[in-house]
Amino acid sequence: MTSHDVSHGSNGPISTPAPSSGAPSSGAPAQLSPLRRFLLTNEFGLILLIVLFAVLFAVTTRGFTTPFSLFTLGRSAAVNIMIGLSMMAVIVTGGLSLAVGAIGVCAAMFLGYLIQSLGMPWPLAILAAIAMGAALGFINGFAVVRTGLHSFIITLATMSIFFGVMVFLTRAEAFRGLPPVFADFGKMKFATYFSPLLLVTLAAALGLGWLYRYSVLGREMLAAGARPEAAELSGIRVGRMIIYCHMLSGALAALAALMLVARNGAAIPSMAGQLGQDWLLPAFLGPVLGGTLLNGGRAAVLGTCLGAFLVTMLSSGLLLMRVGEFWVQSFLGLLLLLAVLMDKLRRSYLARRNLV
Amino acid sequence: MDVTPIFEAKNIVKTFPGVRALKGVSLSLLPGSVHALLGENGAGKSTLIKVITGVHRQTSGQLLLNGEEVSFGSTHDAVAKGIGVVHQERNLIPRFSVAENIHLEQLANSWLRPVNYTALNQSARRWLEELNLDIDPAMPVSDLSVAQMQLVEIAKALSLQSRVLLLDEPTASLTSSEAANLFTILRRLRDNGASLVFVSHKLEEVVEICDRVTVLRDGDNATESRPMAGLGRQDLVQMMIGRAESGGTWRKRDSAAQPVVLQLKDLATSVGHKDISMNVRKGEIVGLYGLVGAGRSELAKAIMGRFRVTSGTVEVAGQTARITSVADAIHKYRLGYVSEDRKTEGLILPHSVLANAGVPIWRKLSGFLGGLRDSTVRRAVSPYLEKLEVKTPSLAQTVGNLSGGNQQKISVAKWLAAGVQLLIVDEPSVGIDIKTKAYLHDLLRELADSGTSVIVISSDMPEIIALADRIVVMNDYRIQGEVANIGTYDTMSQAIMGLIHRDPHRAQVA
Ligand SMILES: Nc1ncnc2c1ncn2[C@@H]1O[C@H](COP(=O)(O)OP(=O)(O)OP(=O)(O)O)[C@@H](O)[C@H]1O
Ligand SMILES: [Mg+2]
Repeated sequence: MTSHDVSHGSNGPISTPAPSSGAPSSGAPAQLSPLRRFLLTNEFGLILLIVLFAVLFAVTTRGFTTPFSLFTLGRSAAVNIMIGLSMMAVIVTGGLSLAVGAIGVCAAMFLGYLIQSLGMPWPLAILAAIAMGAALGFINGFAVVRTGLHSFIITLATMSIFFGVMVFLTRAEAFRGLPPVFADFGKMKFATYFSPLLLVTLAAALGLGWLYRYSVLGREMLAAGARPEAAELSGIRVGRMIIYCHMLSGALAALAALMLVARNGAAIPSMAGQLGQDWLLPAFLGPVLGGTLLNGGRAAVLGTCLGAFLVTMLSSGLLLMRVGEFWVQSFLGLLLLLAVLMDKLRRSYLARRNLV
Repeated sequence: MDVTPIFEAKNIVKTFPGVRALKGVSLSLLPGSVHALLGENGAGKSTLIKVITGVHRQTSGQLLLNGEEVSFGSTHDAVAKGIGVVHQERNLIPRFSVAENIHLEQLANSWLRPVNYTALNQSARRWLEELNLDIDPAMPVSDLSVAQMQLVEIAKALSLQSRVLLLDEPTASLTSSEAANLFTILRRLRDNGASLVFVSHKLEEVVEICDRVTVLRDGDNATESRPMAGLGRQDLVQMMIGRAESGGTWRKRDSAAQPVVLQLKDLATSVGHKDISMNVRKGEIVGLYGLVGAGRSELAKAIMGRFRVTSGTVEVAGQTARITSVADAIHKYRLGYVSEDRKTEGLILPHSVLANAGVPIWRKLSGFLGGLRDSTVRRAVSPYLEKLEVKTPSLAQTVGNLSGGNQQKISVAKWLAAGVQLLIVDEPSVGIDIKTKAYLHDLLRELADSGTSVIVISSDMPEIIALADRIVVMNDYRIQGEVANIGTYDTMSQAIMGLIHRDPHRAQVA
């Protein structure tokens, strides 16, 4: 799908620039083939886990493999992956955004307002809602750059502000009179098992993969996130890049919310829980499981997709096993901790065996 | 000499992923001696020092202290056994004060007792005074210049009063007078029986202070622990690179007829510069010399828009320029700046060699929709990486894993590729070996010949005299005057020192 480690410039056949006396090649230990290298990545670990749990659920539960169950799984995964990507876009800067949920809900409600109250045609309204997401992201980014405060503080504040203003303006009432295209799109199936929402997510992931790997903008975002001072002195407008990252995150959050609107057939203020907090666990789990460094400078698009997919599959599988919703949440929290520990172990194992 | 070695390393092998840094290196240190550890960039000097001081564990081989095998699980163990070190890269904690940094080891051992800051500052001051470093011990390290940090790092190592002290390029960013100061201290330690290891690419220093020498070449011993007596600079070069030194020297270049590219008029800045007036012509190489703290790097950064200009004007190519951001300086006015601090300002250490080398030209190389291919970047930067002989297992290697000198080469190479009209290079050859230094000088001359103006900031007077057409001397954030370079070291160094010490009270008078 997309490249899994986009900060490290080139891979594939590499020309070594004039090693002065052939030292690098002489007796270099552990030169890995591309395949073996892939087998040692985070992404491969995630794929293994996904397969493992898929088999487990298929065997132990009834209904996991029915077309409908797989269809809803794909649909939820599409949304959760989008939420994870939205968080990843900010983590790239070495920051985070607690406001992804709030931004998403605001964008969705804005869409409902534009269509239902102003009668705007729906394609235009979709664009406007995404722009709304980007605009709210801009507010976050601008505040972070201008105040120099950590994005944790800023987005903690804006999360409440955005959500509060939205509740005030909408009087917490849902927009249920949306044109049927939304609900139809949410219910649509292709190839029996798949929701077209997955295609939207796939397109977004491919776009991000291209951005971080093959575009100046994405690379500048990564550089600014990794070492702001050095990036600045290399001619990168670090402040602007941070703002762009927040805007990108806002737009992706809006997209995720619009996908929820399609699923629900309505724009509902509580679609992401109080203050949009229901999104936080999937938002962090995806990037962290996927191996995005929390201190910035690296984006793992494929990893985030796999991580978010794993999380979605685990929640729906556990629900099918009739574990209570509350336990699912606890389990996901536990998984977050385990994932971080496992990754640490994997890294130190590789370092000891000189395999990295 | 039948002194028994105080410390020995035998057949040390150290491998990193894809790199065999040490392939069986030996070294034996005598008490009361200064041992030179030499080799080209990437030869394995720092790696050996890190193995000896417990930063890395060797893949195989033995370490013997007073004849007994030792193994250090951590740097702490090495310190406890009386082995001190000044690493090539700075390891100070920026927000801590100078005194806290110097006494970090002691502080760490007594974390439940309250800290007596008066005593701490006092004892720190003692070490600073020895190094003639006039700074307040209570000041945070982040406010110091690179050279001052280096001296604090040395003070920190001295305060441990170790029997074996390893210094990895301690003089890299010092001027010769500061280095001379350090040597006085090192000689005294030596006479008191300490065993010192000294790494430097400045061979004059090595000849001056060291009595024994080990040379590494590509992770092997080219020479193992022999006396220095009878060896000259040329012999050392021969052992390091396997042949004699080459590379161009100073030549007279005339750019008087060329248009002025950068003109500063009565500049004052928010960091304290006053009355700065100077110009640089097209294709000219101007040296900017001054002692540590003269405000040269700060001036460069002010030109680049990092610090605010409070009065006076900057003209670029005849047009008044109001440069408010580094991005403007680079993309709009085509100015470039190679920072003296490669670790925090020069390089994005966690990213690859290729990603680093291309940053300033990404925008220029990008195509449709801002798209960029690695192959395009590689084509643009690899000539420079090749000319500077950057030693890396691949272009995808993380820059932070390269040897210090090779990191420095990348931080310079990325600007050579950038195609700017004026390039300011700040201590460009810090940590670069003599062979590459000659190549770098050739490259800078070629760059100037092809019409790029160059400002060279260096604490290394021979380097300035080898490169510059004209030398501007700064002291205390002012310009003291300028001299045309005639390329002879003795005359020029006298003229420069004369300017530095000219009229020290001019500030009060004016
Ligand atoms: N952590 C690391 N990971 C991978 N390779 C490393 C690491 N540290 C050092 N190397 C490699 O080991 C080799 C020796 O490096 P070392 O830093 O010892 O060189 P050096 O002699 O100190 O050079 P310099 O004069 O540039 O400081 C280099 O090729 C370097 O790329
Ligand atoms: Mg070194």
